[in-house]
This record gives sequence, structure tokens and C-alpha cells, in this order.
Amino acid sequence: MKPDARRDPAAGDTRTDHELVYAARDGDTIAFDALFYRYRDGIYRLGLAITKDPSHAEEIVVDTFARAHRALARLEPDASLRPWLYRVAVNLSYNRRPRKGVVLSSLDDAVDEALANEDGSPSHVAEQAELRRFVLAAVDELGPKHRLVVVLHYLNGLNLTEIAEVVGCPVGTVKSRLHYALRRLRTHLAAHPELGIEPSRSLIATGLRAPKPITAPVPIEGE
Amino acid sequence: MKLFARECDSREAAYLLGADRLGARERIALEAHAASCGDCADALRNGRPVDLALRRAFAPLRERRTIIAPGRVRLAVGPRSAAQTNPWLRVPRFFGRLAEVSVMVGVTLFAVGSSLDPSTRPSSSLTPTHSIVQEYFRSQPPLGDIDYVRWLRLVKADASSTVSDPTRLPMGGRFDYDPVEYAQGPGALPR
Repeated sequence: MKPDARRDPAAGDTRTDHELVYAARDGDTIAFDALFYRYRDGIYRLGLAITKDPSHAEEIVVDTFARAHRALARLEPDASLRPWLYRVAVNLSYNRRPRKGVVLSSLDDAVDEALANEDGSPSHVAEQAELRRFVLAAVDELGPKHRLVVVLHYLNGLNLTEIAEVVGCPVGTVKSRLHYALRRLRTHLAAHPELGIEPSRSLIATGLRAPKPITAPVPIEGE
Repeated sequence: MKLFARECDSREAAYLLGADRLGARERIALEAHAASCGDCADALRNGRPVDLALRRAFAPLRERRTIIAPGRVRLAVGPRSAAQTNPWLRVPRFFGRLAEVSVMVGVTLFAVGSSLDPSTRPSSSLTPTHSIVQEYFRSQPPLGDIDYVRWLRLVKADASSTVSDPTRLPMGGRFDYDPVEYAQGPGALPR
């Protein structure tokens, strides 16, 4: 997560989390503020994705850092404080999950806000918004464990190792959950031909539509 | 037919997530396997659009920010942090709390004590006081006329042991017998 020095006054701090934690432990409030500004938005988004309530998400941010402040003497971050903070935030978020039947549309509102600034024809913008809503609704249909893995990766940008630390399970389990989540999402999203997703092979009648084996490697992001 | 399904699942997930935990050898092996396995090829080929759809859907949310200031965290933590760093800072707080508790206990005892009826108090615990001064004033005749007559009769009753017939009842507008001078009891002095 790159710090945004333009928005956050303390985000220009180039010290590592390890150094900031030790400085905050000695009473350096600026170091603690730097940690706060570094991870504030990520924790807010995570809380928002789970609770779907902006006020709850803000409370989760405050509570997470309050716990971190109380635990400064015990914290020993190797490289990054992010998995520890996200784990606390996830636990706090699940205590504030919306009840069944309560419909909160904060994520949709966020999508609308972002799309209002997008260029393009109104019909194109509306179509994109509809697709995004459909994808987010499909993510909401997942179980809590699979949904959390998807949110941590696609919303917060955590890699598999960090997700494993946050969730508290082996990396293999995270991979398995992610694979299951993607398979479920594929089943849901195949209803929209605009997304270009074919239904699962097991759903297609044998012999009617045989998928072609890939002949070229799938491009990998970042290469 | 899909072989080593669980291993394939893990590899496919890692492959789609940017191969951050998938080594080059594993990646080549997976691609070679997908060339001969229809299920794995299908999963990899259609996993990419799902991955892209998710990235697009979450892209606006990734820009979502909050304006919470760290002051809120300090408010939530409170002065406890200062007290943790310096234990001497707890002393005024301790005495303040002690004073609060003392006042609370005092007020409670006062309220409970004043609500008790004196008649309900156990009398056994209270020893009756004996005062010579009180005895003296009790033995003195009252100043009012009616009270004096009553007192005189009571005193006369007390002294009945020395008088044959202390009863003096009016009959027909006159006394049944002439009043007699009573023997003076202890402290029974006429006016």
C-alpha cells in the first residue's frame, strides 16, 4: 500500500513498520500517527466490505488502532504490521456484521460515486455499474470464509501469504478457498454474457461444447 | 479426466492470482498439465475473465477513503496510556477514586440510618439511663391545677399503704366524708 503524502500529513514517513512500532512504544505519537495513516484506508475498506456500514467501518478503524496502541508493548512485527491489523479488523468486523434481512447498499453507493466521475456515454456507464453490482452481489452470495478471502485479495490487495496470516490458516487452505470462490463466482457470473464467462464445463452437456485446451500460457499480471 | 484435483485447485488459484506463490517449474508443469486436461484448461481459461470482473468490480471500492483523524484513537485509548507509562500518574486518580467511594459510602450510611424508625431499633442494645436529676424533677408536683390534682391522687395512691381509705368519691354533690389531711408522701408537698 503506497502512502499518499498529499492527503495524509504523516504518510511521508519512510520508516518501516518495525521502526514505527518501536518509536511509538517509546511514546512517539508521530510514529503512531504514521502507522495510522498508512493503514487507515485499508482497514476502513475491509470493515466496509464486511459490515456494509460506513459508520461501523469507522468504528472498526478506531477500535483496531486502539487495540494496537494498547498492544504496542507486545507487538513484534517482522516486516509489516498489516496482517496483524487486518486480523484484528476482521474479528471486529464480524462482531458488527449486519443482521439477516437488513439491506445496506453502501457498496453500491460507492460504486455509483466512482462511476459518476467516469467518462463515456450514460448508457455505457450504467451498463458498467450494473455489471459491477452484479459481481458484488455474487460475492455477497459466497460464504463468509470464501468471501473474506476474495475481499482481502481483490479489495485490499493482500497476497496469499498475508491472507493466510490474517485468516489464520495455511496458504494451501487459502488457495483452496479462493479456487472454490472463483468457481462459484464463475457459475454466478456466467449468466451475464457481457462478462465473457462460459458456464462451468461440468454444466455443459458432454460432447456439445468441449472446451479447447489452452495452447499459450495465460498472461500473468505484473510480467 | 482431472488428476490430482486438489493440487490442481491450489495451483490454479495461485496461477490466477499472479503466480506469487507459484514457482516457474510449477507454472510450466501446470500449463503442461492444462494442455492435456480439459477441466484444468477450462478452469484456467475462464478463471481469467472472472478475475478481471472481480478486479473491475472492486476497483471503485479501492479508491474509497476515510477522513478519520488519529485523535479519535487517542480519545478511544484515553488517559490510560499516560498512566501506563508513568505509574505515579495513577496516584491522584487513586485518591480521587478513594474520595468518591468514601463519599458514596457516607451518603449511603446516612440515608439508611436516617430512614430507620427509632422504635424499630432493638431496645436490648440500649441501656436505660438513670438520672438523679430526672428523678428529682419527676418527684416535684406539677404547676398546673389539674395536673396537680392528678398528681396528688397518684401520690396518694402511692401512699395508700399508710392510709386506711384513700378513696374520696363525690356523692350527691358532696363528698361522702370530709377530706382528711393525707400523710405526706415522699416529695408530696402541698402548695
